Amino acid sequence: MTAAILVSSRLSKTYQIGGRQLPVLSDISLTVSRGEFVVITGNSGSGKTTLLSVLSGLDRPSSGTIRLADRDITELSEDELAPLRNELIGFVFQAFHLIPSLNALENVMFPAELKKDPAAGDKATRLLERVGLSMRRQHMVSELSGGEKQRVAICRALINDPPLVFADEPTGNLDSTNSREIMSLLLELQRERDATLVLATHSREIARQADREVRLADGRLVSGEAS
Amino acid sequence: MIQVRFVLRELRYGGAQALTFILCVALSIATLTALNSFRSDVHRSLLNDAQKLHGGDVIIHSHYPISEPLEQAVRDIQSRAGADLARVYGFNSVVRPEVADGSLFVNIMAVAPGYPLYGSVDLASGRPFGEVLQAGAVVVAPEVLSRLSLRIGDRLRIGTAVLTIVDTIDYDPSRPVSIFSLGPRIFTSTGDLEQMGLLGVGSRSHYEILLRLPEPEQARKIAETLSRVATAGQERVETATTARSQVKRFFDNMLFFLSFISIFTLLLSGIGMQSSLSALLRQKQYTIAIGKTVGATYRFLLLHYLALTMLLGLIGAIAGVLAGLIIKSTFPLLFGEIIPAELMLGVTIGDLVEGMLIGLLVVVLFSSLPLYRIAAIRPVALLRLDLTGNVGKPATYLLAALVVVFLALLVVRQLEDVQTGLVFMLGCLGFIAIIFLLTSLVLRLLRALPVGNLAMRQAFRSLFRPGNATRSIIVTLASALSVLLTIFLLEFNLVASFITSYPKDAPNLFSLDIQRGQQEAFFAAVGKEAELFPVVRGRLLSINGEAIDYERENQRRSDSLAREFNLTYRDTLLDDEIIVRGERLFEASRPASDVVEVSVLDTIAEIGDIDLGDRLVFSIQGLPMTAEVTSIRSRTKSKLYPFFYFVFAEEVLAAAPHTFFAALHLERDAIDETITRIVTALPNVSTLNVADTVVRLGELIDRLARVITFFSLFSIVAGCLILIGSVLATRLERIRDCAYYKIVGGTTRFVLSITVYENLLLGMTSSILAAAVAIVSSWLICSAWFNIAFRLHGGALVIMALTTCAAVVGIGLISSLSIVRQKPVTFLYRQNG
Repeated sequence: MTAAILVSSRLSKTYQIGGRQLPVLSDISLTVSRGEFVVITGNSGSGKTTLLSVLSGLDRPSSGTIRLADRDITELSEDELAPLRNELIGFVFQAFHLIPSLNALENVMFPAELKKDPAAGDKATRLLERVGLSMRRQHMVSELSGGEKQRVAICRALINDPPLVFADEPTGNLDSTNSREIMSLLLELQRERDATLVLATHSREIARQADREVRLADGRLVSGEAS
Repeated sequence: MIQVRFVLRELRYGGAQALTFILCVALSIATLTALNSFRSDVHRSLLNDAQKLHGGDVIIHSHYPISEPLEQAVRDIQSRAGADLARVYGFNSVVRPEVADGSLFVNIMAVAPGYPLYGSVDLASGRPFGEVLQAGAVVVAPEVLSRLSLRIGDRLRIGTAVLTIVDTIDYDPSRPVSIFSLGPRIFTSTGDLEQMGLLGVGSRSHYEILLRLPEPEQARKIAETLSRVATAGQERVETATTARSQVKRFFDNMLFFLSFISIFTLLLSGIGMQSSLSALLRQKQYTIAIGKTVGATYRFLLLHYLALTMLLGLIGAIAGVLAGLIIKSTFPLLFGEIIPAELMLGVTIGDLVEGMLIGLLVVVLFSSLPLYRIAAIRPVALLRLDLTGNVGKPATYLLAALVVVFLALLVVRQLEDVQTGLVFMLGCLGFIAIIFLLTSLVLRLLRALPVGNLAMRQAFRSLFRPGNATRSIIVTLASALSVLLTIFLLEFNLVASFITSYPKDAPNLFSLDIQRGQQEAFFAAVGKEAELFPVVRGRLLSINGEAIDYERENQRRSDSLAREFNLTYRDTLLDDEIIVRGERLFEASRPASDVVEVSVLDTIAEIGDIDLGDRLVFSIQGLPMTAEVTSIRSRTKSKLYPFFYFVFAEEVLAAAPHTFFAALHLERDAIDETITRIVTALPNVSTLNVADTVVRLGELIDRLARVITFFSLFSIVAGCLILIGSVLATRLERIRDCAYYKIVGGTTRFVLSITVYENLLLGMTSSILAAAVAIVSSWLICSAWFNIAFRLHGGALVIMALTTCAAVVGIGLISSLSIVRQKPVTFLYRQNG
């Protein structure tokens, strides 16, 4: 087995709502290896999105630790996490979350430009060609269809060649044809680049394609915790 | 039926948008309330007390002894109506101590027993004025004692008389403000007039008869009766309410101008109101869409949000009226000696009600468009996550037209002049339209500009974020700043032209009323020969057969055609004169005729719409004289050099009673000594130290500029509120962008730098546009109106640009800090419901 890229140990997340403590994640230990495709499944409200957010450093756990590429990121500040996210992580969301004031090409370039990569434009153009959007690269986000937006979001997630990609219900807003196309594209790119993919989904069909399925129920891991 | 709970709940969650809206409403009426209330005070104390100001119910005024028919008519009224009468003679002269050195230019008022008919002249000793002012005595303004180092009991040479100073003036009802007067006031008794010998023919004296009527309401009727026998163009009969006064005229002009600025602030605040209410309703659009989905009608929602708006408007209006009263309480400090000491700054119920009504009307008008947009929010938009409703263009235009009509009515009401009000409205709209067009042009250029730096590029993009009030912010800030900068540049240029850079060769001593036969003595007194300009006093009666409308002329804000002019005669142009219409001053050969020739200066030609060939009828010593305009002249130097509106050929006026006027340039330290020599040799000659007067003019300009700047600052506040409103209106978009930047690896510093660049762009664009507009407008005013050279003040431009950028960046950053600090995950969780 290849080395682990993501290790979480006894992760918990609790929200304070009014005077009440609301546990969302409890005691989650998970190790993800480099190049692995892991799906996180579970019913609505089981904590999939929260787990993804905590693992990726977008949110902070209430307790437990997270190691990303051999570095403990649990106590890092927002500004310490930002460059790590830029270089090590790519994100794909259900609602695409593209910057509306930028066109497709600029959206893809954006993370590379943050890194001051002089080849940002070329890389973004190549990626868009790869996903079949070279003709749409100058189009604004509002002029793209849902499937096209998600392709642009995948390109943006991969522009800096991150070793780890988080995807939260990437096909949730798409029809079945587009869902299949997007998933196969995402998997192709993940394999081409030997990236690790951690994907939250309801879909059994997608889960079947994964190397491993981790199942959540009421904020606890009920299966698949071992790598 | 309004559901109060719904309105209160929406108000509770209104947050910063509601607060900004309230502040905009308050700002829109604060200055207007302060000025309107101040205007009421001025009207109350100056106009309602006009009898005190003018000294009677009916005032007869002339620059010559009152004609016999008018004297007879006055005697008839005295005996018939039982009116009290007081005679007043006024003139300027130079006085000097009997024994000590020094001299002082003063305004002398010789009054007969019984003066003043209304009010009282308060003396420092507390004794009654009538008892103190006897023949041989003078009562003087305190300044006379301090400037001539005199004391009560000392003696003063006035003309050829030597009179004893018996008291000083504490309060003079005819002179509530002294800042506009050339010299301090001295009261003498009419019994000493002959001995003074200063009421010479052609001298600038005025003769007044004041009448106090047992029934003051008869004043108008009696004035009309007297006017019928008065010598046309020479004697003026007015009532206390119609009489002209320098103070009244000044306050009318000043309030008129300040009203401009306060309406301008109201307009800008209105834009702020609109943008903050739009922000508030944007925040509520989910509630509105959901409300519509579950069956709320447009009428229900409109009614409730209108109620919410009116509630906020009411809070704003109350705050605005209170702020207005606080602003008004600073007026004594702000206006200083410009405000008459006895002017009571009070508050009436009328002031409060008026302020509230204007405030609520402003709220209704400026809120109409954002409220109308509620209709455009569709329930189906909830599913598309796109809630921005579009309102049809006709409705937008209709509401915009309503706003313009309301403003036009308000302007006309404020300025009390339909024509000027409409011209102002058009000017104001034109001014804003020019800035709007320039802003659109600049924004188009910015949009097309290739930018390398990532944060800078994002800042450029952010300017065009949907819902961003970029154009409104720039138009508002640039408009307000350009007004402020124009005022500064005008003050700077006026001071530079007239005071700091007083032309080296410009006359600094004017001597008036030099009689024929006094020329040699005058030259001896000043120690050199000087050019003497003959002066014949006369009035203009008609232009091309159309009589001068004295009432209309008295309302005119520029020079009046109704006043007494200094006519002169000569056959050549002055060094600084050129002919702009016609061949020469007078036609070379002209057949003998009763119609004489006159050359007219372009400035007065413009005021009276006078052209070549026009026939003007003058009254000289009561005799009519018809003149044909044979040339129109213009001047090439500043107004500090002598000039005459009307020039006749020598043979026309040489025989008329006239005096001479001299304009001299002397070394500054020789001026006082020369004045003393002139007044010693020629007591009837009035000599004015122009250099001193110019310094006083500078102080007045400075004070007025401070007042105007104070009011203009409120427009800047309106610009800042629009900026805050814009940040609030685009809060959701800003949070979203911020979250996206952070998700892909942007640090807080990167996000902050975008905010800084974005606001820097706003500030810089506003400053550059403001500077451009201010330079052009102040250059136009300087060259076309004041006729002075225009100089740019680079330092002021830089300071304005830096201050604006710092303020805009500061406000933008502070209002965006809570957005920048948000964690991206908060946004993501919210998106996931």
